[in-house]
Amino acid sequence: MNHAANSDAPIIQLENLAVTFQTPRGAFRAVRSASLEIARGEVVGLVGESGCGKSTVAFAMMDYLPGTANVEGAVRFEGMDISQFTDAELRELRGNRIAMVYQDPITSLNPSMRVGPQIEEVLKHHLDMDSEAAQRRAVELFESVGLADPERIGRRYPHQLSGGMQQRVVIAMALACDPHLLIMDEPTTGLDVTTEATILDLIVELKDRVNAGILFVSHNLGVIARVADRVAVMYAGEIVEEAPVRELFKNPSHPYTAGLLSCVPQPPGDDGVALQLRSIPGAVFDAQMEQTNSCLFAPRCPLAKEDCSTTTPPLEGVAEDHRARCLYHDEVNDGIWGDLLERVVKPDPEETTPALYAEDLRKFYGGGRRKYILFGPPVRPPVRALVDVDMRVGGGRTLGIVGESGSGKSTAARAIVGLESKDSGVLQLRGQELEGDVGDRTEDQRSAMRMVFQNPTASLNPKLPIKHAITRALRKFAGVRRGEIRERSEELMNAVGLDPLYLDRLPSELSGGQQQRVALASAFAANPDLVVADEAVSALDVSVQAQVLNLLEDRQRETGNAYVFITHDLGVVRYVSDDILVLYAGHVAEYGPAEAVLSTPSHPYTEALLSAAPVPDPDAEPTHIRLEGSVPTLRSAFKGCFFAGRCPRKIGDICDAEQPPEQRGPGGDGHMINCHIPVEELERLQIMDGVPTTAKA
Amino acid sequence: MATRDSALNTTQQQVPALFRAGQTVRDGLSLILRTNTGRIGFAIVAVHLTLALAGPWIAPYPPTDYHLDARFSGPSSEYWLGTDEFGRDVLSRVLAGARSIIWISFIGTIFGVTLGTVVGVTSGYLGGKIDQFIMRIVDWFLAIPSLLLTILVINMASQRFSNIDHSWIIIFVIGISFMPNNSRVIRSAALAIKPLEFVQSARLRGEPTLYIMFREVLPNVFPVVAVEATIRLSFALLLTAGLGFLGLGVKPPEPDWGLMVSENADHLGTVPWAALAPGLAMASLVVGINLLADGIRQAQNLPETGE
Repeated sequence: MNHAANSDAPIIQLENLAVTFQTPRGAFRAVRSASLEIARGEVVGLVGESGCGKSTVAFAMMDYLPGTANVEGAVRFEGMDISQFTDAELRELRGNRIAMVYQDPITSLNPSMRVGPQIEEVLKHHLDMDSEAAQRRAVELFESVGLADPERIGRRYPHQLSGGMQQRVVIAMALACDPHLLIMDEPTTGLDVTTEATILDLIVELKDRVNAGILFVSHNLGVIARVADRVAVMYAGEIVEEAPVRELFKNPSHPYTAGLLSCVPQPPGDDGVALQLRSIPGAVFDAQMEQTNSCLFAPRCPLAKEDCSTTTPPLEGVAEDHRARCLYHDEVNDGIWGDLLERVVKPDPEETTPALYAEDLRKFYGGGRRKYILFGPPVRPPVRALVDVDMRVGGGRTLGIVGESGSGKSTAARAIVGLESKDSGVLQLRGQELEGDVGDRTEDQRSAMRMVFQNPTASLNPKLPIKHAITRALRKFAGVRRGEIRERSEELMNAVGLDPLYLDRLPSELSGGQQQRVALASAFAANPDLVVADEAVSALDVSVQAQVLNLLEDRQRETGNAYVFITHDLGVVRYVSDDILVLYAGHVAEYGPAEAVLSTPSHPYTEALLSAAPVPDPDAEPTHIRLEGSVPTLRSAFKGCFFAGRCPRKIGDICDAEQPPEQRGPGGDGHMINCHIPVEELERLQIMDGVPTTAKA
Repeated sequence: MATRDSALNTTQQQVPALFRAGQTVRDGLSLILRTNTGRIGFAIVAVHLTLALAGPWIAPYPPTDYHLDARFSGPSSEYWLGTDEFGRDVLSRVLAGARSIIWISFIGTIFGVTLGTVVGVTSGYLGGKIDQFIMRIVDWFLAIPSLLLTILVINMASQRFSNIDHSWIIIFVIGISFMPNNSRVIRSAALAIKPLEFVQSARLRGEPTLYIMFREVLPNVFPVVAVEATIRLSFALLLTAGLGFLGLGVKPPEPDWGLMVSENADHLGTVPWAALAPGLAMASLVVGINLLADGIRQAQNLPETGE
C-alpha cells in the first residue's frame, strides 16, 4: 500500500460516520453518527437492537457497502483514510488486514468443497503459499481454534461438521492471514447456548493470543459482558454510550443502556425472578425520518424533559473513557425505568385440575417403507423425536420446556397442539382425552388450546390485513356475530397494547414485536385454557421481549390460562416458568418446580445448560462445564443413558449399559432427575465445582 | 401493560378499506412499471391492445373485401402495406387479425392457468399420496407434444361437431396443454408456503382445507401465477399462430396472422409485406409480453423459471 501506515494509530478509527441508503421509498439513515476507535489487542463490543445500524458500521469499516450507500465522515485504518484507497488496495485491506466472521457458519462455507482446501485457497491467494505450506498452515490454524483431530478435519465437508465446528473453521479462516482487525457480526447468535459458550471461550482465549483488534457485534448483553473490553451502545444509528465493559454494566449513563440492562431476564445466579421485568415502551426511531434537532431517544425516555426535544445531545464525557449522549446522564440510575414490581404468587399446583396432562407421549418420524417401492435408499429406522415424555401443567401455571436444538422441544409443542399426531401415549386437556390430529379434535378443544409461533412475520398471512387472523378466531371460537366483530377485535387489540387502527394494515407495515402481539391477540380471542408458545419471544429484541413477556403474564393473571413455554433461553425460562421440563434427544432429563430444577442438585445436562448461559455481568466467574458437539439423532432403541455420549459426569459402564433410574429430587413432589448418579452425590459434585445456582431453592 | 404504539399517529394515516381494491390495481401497475424491462414491455403491449381494440374504426377497408383491380400491389398511399393475391388490404387484415389471436390466446391462457393453479395448489398443499397421484397424471400429460395433441383434438372435434367454431377448440386445447407445466410451477410455490406458521395457525383454528388452500395459500402464490400467466400468454400466441399457419385456426376468409403468413409466403418475392407484416406484428407482441413477464419477475425478485 502506498499510504503511510502509522503503527501508533488505532487500527480502526471512525469519525462521525454516517451512512444513508438511497431507496425508492426515500433515504434510509442506517447510521447517523458513529465515532469509535479500536486499538490492537482490544475487543470492542457493539451492542444494540435490530435495525440500529450495527452491521452497517461493521461493513463501513471495510468500505464494503452497496452503491446506494452515501458515506459521510471518515474511516481510518491505521491512520489511513480508506475512502482514498484504490480497488486493489481495498481488496488487500479486506482480505489480509480485516477479516470477518458472520452469524451463520453454514452460509459462510462453500458446501461443495472440503473445508481444508477452502482455507488453503485463502492462504495461497493472499499469502502466496505453495500447496504444501498451505496444508501445514491449515492444520496449525485448525489446531489453534481448538478443533479436535486437526490433521483430518480438513478432509470433511461443511455439512459433516456440527454448528460449533463450522464456526471454528470460519474463525480459523478469518485468522489465516493474521488480520489486524477481526470483525465478528453476531458470531454466536445462530448457535445453541452450549455451543455458544465454547465459541465464546475460544474468542476470549484468542484475544490474548492474536495481536488484533476485534469488533464484536451482538444484541446479547450477556455475550458482550463475557468477551468485550469496551462496549459501544447503538440506538437509531447513533452511538449513544461508550465505556469500558465493567463501567458500562455498573454505571450505565444513558437511559437506553439502563433500560436494556433492566429488561433482560437474568440467568440463574441472582434472585431477580421475584420482580417484574421492566420494559422500554414504544419502538425504535424510524430510520427514514430526518434528523431533527432533538435526542432520538426522547420519545421513549422516562427522563425526557423539554430541552430533550429541542437540542441534540452531544456524546460527552461522563467519566474517564466513558461517554454518553444524554443531557441528563447524571440522573440516570437503576430506578428510572420504574419501580420493580413484585410478581403475583401463582396458585398452588395441587389445588387446580391440570390444564394439560401428558403421559408416555411418543412421536417417531420417518421409517416405515421405501419411498419408491423398489428404488431409493434402504429404509432407516425412524427418528425417535419424543420418547415417553410426561408432563403436567396446572391451571394458571407455566411449564417451561428447555433443551438444545434437536432435543424435541418443538416436536413436543406440535404434538400437544395436534400439528403432528402423537404415536402413542395419553394427552389430556382439562381431563378430556385429546385426539392426535388437530382436525379430529372438537371445536371446544381447539379453542381452549392455542399456539403462538417463533417467527412473528411468518405467523401472519402477508397478503391479508391483520384483522383476518383475529376475526377468524373470534368467529370460530367465540361465536361472535358479524356486527360485533369489529368491536371485539378492537378490544383485543387494546388488550395487547396495539392501536385498533392497525387492524386494516398489512403485516408488513408492523414491526416484529407488534406482529407478535397480533398473534397473541388472535391466540387470546376465545380465552383459551392453554397457550403453547414455541420460542415466542426468541426473535424479538430485548426491550420488546420484555413487553411481550409482561403481556403474557398480565394475561395469565387476568384469565387464569396456563402456558407451555418453549425456549432455549434459560433467562427467559427461569423468569416465566413455575415448572421446568428439561429435554434431551426426546428424553426427559429433569422435571420439576422451576427453582428445584435450576438449583443443585440437577441433572448433568441441566447443569451444563446452566453453566453455558451467558451472564450479563462482566465480573461473573466463567464456568467450567462445556458440552461439545450437538444433540444426536437417535434412531434405534438403546440400552444405556440417552445422555451418555456427551455427559461430562459420566461414571462408567453403567451409563452405557442401563437406563438411568427416575430419582426423586429434593425439590418436593414431582421433582425428577433421570441419572445414575445418586442425588446426594450430584449435589456434592456440583457444589464442589461452584455451579451457579439459585441457592434458596 | 398498556403501552400504545405512538408511532402510528406521526408516521402514517389510516387507509380507508374502500381504496383497497383500487390500491391492488395500482400496486400491480406500479410493479410492472418499476423496471425498465417492464416499462418497455408495457408500452409495446399497450400499443398492440389499443390497435386491436380500435381496429374496426381505424382500418381503411373491411378486412375481407376484395380489390381485384389492385392485386399484388406494393405499399402505396391507398394501401399502406399493399394488398395480397386477392387484392385484400394487408393493413386492415393485420389489424383485424390481432383481435382473434389476442382473444383466443388470452382466454386460453386464463383457462389453462386457472386449471393449473387449482391443480397445483391442491397437489402442493395436500401433499403425500394425493400429490404423487396428481403429479403422475400431470407427467402423463406432459409426455404428449402439445402441437400433436392440438391437431388430434381439432381433427376429432371438427369431424364430430361439424359446425363448431374453431376458436373454442383452440382455447380448450391451449388450456389443456398449459395445465401440466403450470401446475408444476404453482405446486412448488405452494409447497414453499405450506410449512409457514400462518398456514399452521389456520389449521389450528380448524379451518376447512379448501379455505386454507384458496384463502390463505393462494394469495401468496399469486405473484408466481401472474408471471406464469404472462409467459404462458406468449406461448399461447405462438401456438395459435402456428395452428393458423397449418390451416387449423380461424376459418378463411377471416383474417388470421398465422394463415396470412402461410398464404402469402409464396409471394414473398413480389409482395413481401403481405407475409412480413403479420409476422412482425406477432414477433413484436410476443417480445412485448415476454418483457412484461420479465419486468414483473424482476420487480418481485422471483427466480427465472428456465423456460
